[in-house]
Amino acid sequence: MRSVLLLAILSVSAPALAQITAEIPPPSQSAQGDVAVTIYNNNLALVQDTRQLAVAAGRNRIEFPDVSAQIRSETVTLTGAGIGIVEQNFDFDLLSPSALMQKAVGETITLVRMNPATGVETRERARVLAANGGVVLQIGERIEVLRDDGLPVRVIFDRVPENLRARPTLSVTVESERGGTRPLTLTYLTPSMSWQADYVALFDEAANRMDVQGWITLTNHTGTTFRNADTMLVAGSVGQDQPERYPDYRRNRPSPQVRAAGTESAGRERIGDFYLYPLPERTTIANQQTKQVSFLDAHGTPTTRGYEYRNDWLHGAEEPESANSVLNFSSSRAQGLGDALPAGTVRVYQRDARGNPQFVGESPIPHTPMGSRIGLTTGQAFDVKVRPVVVSRDRIDLQKWRESERFRIVHPDGTQTTGQRDYLSTMSFWETRMRYSLTNARPQPVTVDVYQSGLDQSSWSDTRLVAESLPSERLSADRVVWHVTVPANGSVDLEAVFQSTY
Amino acid sequence: MRAAPVLLAAMSMLAAPPAAAQSVVTSPRPDSVAVTVYRNPERDPGERPNLDWLGGYALVSETRTVVVPAGESVVRFEGVASGAFAETAIVTGFPEGIIERNRDAELLSARTLLDRSLARRVHLRRTSLATGTVREQEAVIRSGAGGAVVLQTADGFESLRCTGVPETLVYDEVPEGLNARPTLSVRLRSSVATTATVTLSYLAAGFDWQANYVGTLSPNGRRLDLFAWLTLASMDQTSFPDANTQAVAGQPNRERQNWQAPDQSSLELRCWQQGRTDQIVAGMTGDVLNDLPQAIVVTGSRMRRPEFESLAQARPVMAEQENLGDLKLYRIPVPVTVAAHSQKQVALLRREGVEVRRVYRQTVTESEADEEPVPVQMALLTRNRASEGLGLPLPAGGVVIFAAGAPRPVMLGAGAMRDYAEGEEVEISFGPAIGIMSQLRRVSHENGITTYELVVTNDHRRRIDFEAELQFDNVQSRIRLEEREGRHIWRTRLPSTGRAVLRFTVSPS
Repeated sequence: MRSVLLLAILSVSAPALAQITAEIPPPSQSAQGDVAVTIYNNNLALVQDTRQLAVAAGRNRIEFPDVSAQIRSETVTLTGAGIGIVEQNFDFDLLSPSALMQKAVGETITLVRMNPATGVETRERARVLAANGGVVLQIGERIEVLRDDGLPVRVIFDRVPENLRARPTLSVTVESERGGTRPLTLTYLTPSMSWQADYVALFDEAANRMDVQGWITLTNHTGTTFRNADTMLVAGSVGQDQPERYPDYRRNRPSPQVRAAGTESAGRERIGDFYLYPLPERTTIANQQTKQVSFLDAHGTPTTRGYEYRNDWLHGAEEPESANSVLNFSSSRAQGLGDALPAGTVRVYQRDARGNPQFVGESPIPHTPMGSRIGLTTGQAFDVKVRPVVVSRDRIDLQKWRESERFRIVHPDGTQTTGQRDYLSTMSFWETRMRYSLTNARPQPVTVDVYQSGLDQSSWSDTRLVAESLPSERLSADRVVWHVTVPANGSVDLEAVFQSTY
Repeated sequence: MRAAPVLLAAMSMLAAPPAAAQSVVTSPRPDSVAVTVYRNPERDPGERPNLDWLGGYALVSETRTVVVPAGESVVRFEGVASGAFAETAIVTGFPEGIIERNRDAELLSARTLLDRSLARRVHLRRTSLATGTVREQEAVIRSGAGGAVVLQTADGFESLRCTGVPETLVYDEVPEGLNARPTLSVRLRSSVATTATVTLSYLAAGFDWQANYVGTLSPNGRRLDLFAWLTLASMDQTSFPDANTQAVAGQPNRERQNWQAPDQSSLELRCWQQGRTDQIVAGMTGDVLNDLPQAIVVTGSRMRRPEFESLAQARPVMAEQENLGDLKLYRIPVPVTVAAHSQKQVALLRREGVEVRRVYRQTVTESEADEEPVPVQMALLTRNRASEGLGLPLPAGGVVIFAAGAPRPVMLGAGAMRDYAEGEEVEISFGPAIGIMSQLRRVSHENGITTYELVVTNDHRRRIDFEAELQFDNVQSRIRLEEREGRHIWRTRLPSTGRAVLRFTVSPS
């Protein structure tokens, strides 16, 4: 039945349909040529598309369908042998019923009226006078509003105006010296493509070893599929300022991941300052796709677990707070992963009692040079807690302040100056006794790094550590750290006395 | 007469998938699955998981058997959690490894069907309302889905559904790459045909769990029978039957997710200007800006299927606890079904006769001064160790306290507990007391020294142990105050139907 009907249509307007058939591409065909995609971390990709196109001698208008739907048209360049560019157009006047009707003003269209009672169709030609609000038609000598009576009327347009397009379309007008098919290379930038690294780390706590796999994760939200693309990833963000960093005021917030930046060069391809990660073979990057390809597989990296607690100012906590659980390892060749690490997320797994890997936390890492010392905060420990307590905060007199007043300056020639400093009598002096109660419910002893910062708030204030129950390490003017070993299923109180001016 | 079949044959050839050496294998479901549920890190322990939007997540580990053909192939994994985070996927077990893994999230919908059929041949079906005659004719879609449909037919160019005639598009096939759901797949190359047992694991959004404690307090208030449920919930669309199920307590770090919901924008069919003479409003005639094309919204609504599967009565099944790094893992010892859109409870722990001290307490701050009397808080204090009858990790959760000994159960109050490690002091607050009130008055303020009076009243016919924590610095009082963790504590015993008064001064710092 259908083929008979089809045949009927064919016989009526064979030339028109033949033309349609010729234009219909097979479902998987794309107008893209040899595609190379370079993807940056900051939601930006450079697409290079070399197409074999027939160009006639003289002036040609060439359309480029199947470019990124998000193409930044101002970045387009077209290169090819023997052509000169006259102009470049990006048309986004889209074909729709209402645009079609607007462009038909003054033109003649066909109306097919259907009798609702009998189904009988009658055809007539009409001229579109206006399409403002409603469509006003002239039919012979009559003026009518389209479907004013609500009865069914089909409207058939003879043609589609040339500049109305199904999708935004890039076209380039070129002047060619000679005719013939030749490769033309289209290069442009598009947003909505990005990549990052995802690391899978399996930590063996008993052996203090970690296996790390690195995956490149790229995403395509451009609205366009790039077929059989030669893909390259660049570890870096280009042409954009670093996003503004907001200060983090959380209590006991994680320390930065890179503890000491490395100085080793990874054995990877580089352009300028960037490391390159080419995908091993051509691949199709579909629209709305997330694609992952392996780039790193390291086994047995020496890794230790540590605990950290950070107190930002000489204040206490209402209840014990879990210490940060930190994995310490290196990206060096000799003692670590042996590679530069592109920015991404490290997800850490540990095996449970039955040997199944379970997720135990994740941490972001920035672009990390090879040879760096890395400390990843994967979470807060259930069993290891610290409670800082302000035991007392009392005003002290100048005399007592002076008792702890000792400064020493080491001069470049090795000589030293020691002495005391004078203070304005209007200053008040305070003594703060801190206690840090550390508890460990694990069956092994743990070492917790307790950081106390806020010792150098500003130039006019002065805070000094005058007594402590364990030796501390002064990291900076603002920060000290104690390495406190807490016995298995035990607790330790660390005590310290600070004096400060206010 | 012969032209038609030839043309149809040519069309079906065109419609066939690209001539690639790549075969597609579909793995419809896992053979076995393990689910480990993690709590929503941003939920307060006392807050119940919101079943409509669960903010926790799960690690799903699936074992699948896949028949891998020789050569290059794509293995599609169906039946994975709908909330799977693609970037967390781990696939192991293919003997020769994989080339890449993908998640395709371009979904099949009215909109994508139209959009991807641009310049493709479809059928336009019209039904006559007068006679019921159905007519089908060929058409080619000439417009994208954004501005709606313009068709090329043998007659010329037409719109869809602007005519008043019932008409619709009929498609021959689903364009390649459109899926009902986001689909995980791997591309691989194998030298021989083989059967592989592979493990697919990933993190998925839309899960949560919580401990729910039920405590029964002995009549003398010194012993507590403590029982806890492990309540886990899923709002995923996929059910995991007979899953090895675990829950993890502790605080694993999870970065804020940029989880992108798959694009589910609906198709809007826009027509041309449809104004009619009866719709003319004064002042609007000819106003092009108000000339909005008529829109017909074709959209789908998600069906909700509340499928609660509860194990409310006590069962001998009890979760088993083990250490997992710095976290606590609770394993449900028998396989259970983690059903889509459901909540499930199993016993988490049980301890009888825990030694507790029942106290009434109040935290006193300056902001309460000269306000009306407020009820004091009830709490149970104990220490999490074996000598008190505890000595096990206590994951955070809600607490309900009942009184034993009455002819019928009496609920005393409800509250919440944070995570308690072994050995910690445990405090279970369970709500305001009835009839025991405290009030702070500012008596005087001289030479920078403020004098306060704290009055606590008791309407019970028994004496009550009370303690107040004074959140003030430089406190002095004639009554001896205890010091605990840098705070001043006033402990007293309220007389039967009587009151107690504390007068204290605060000097400036």
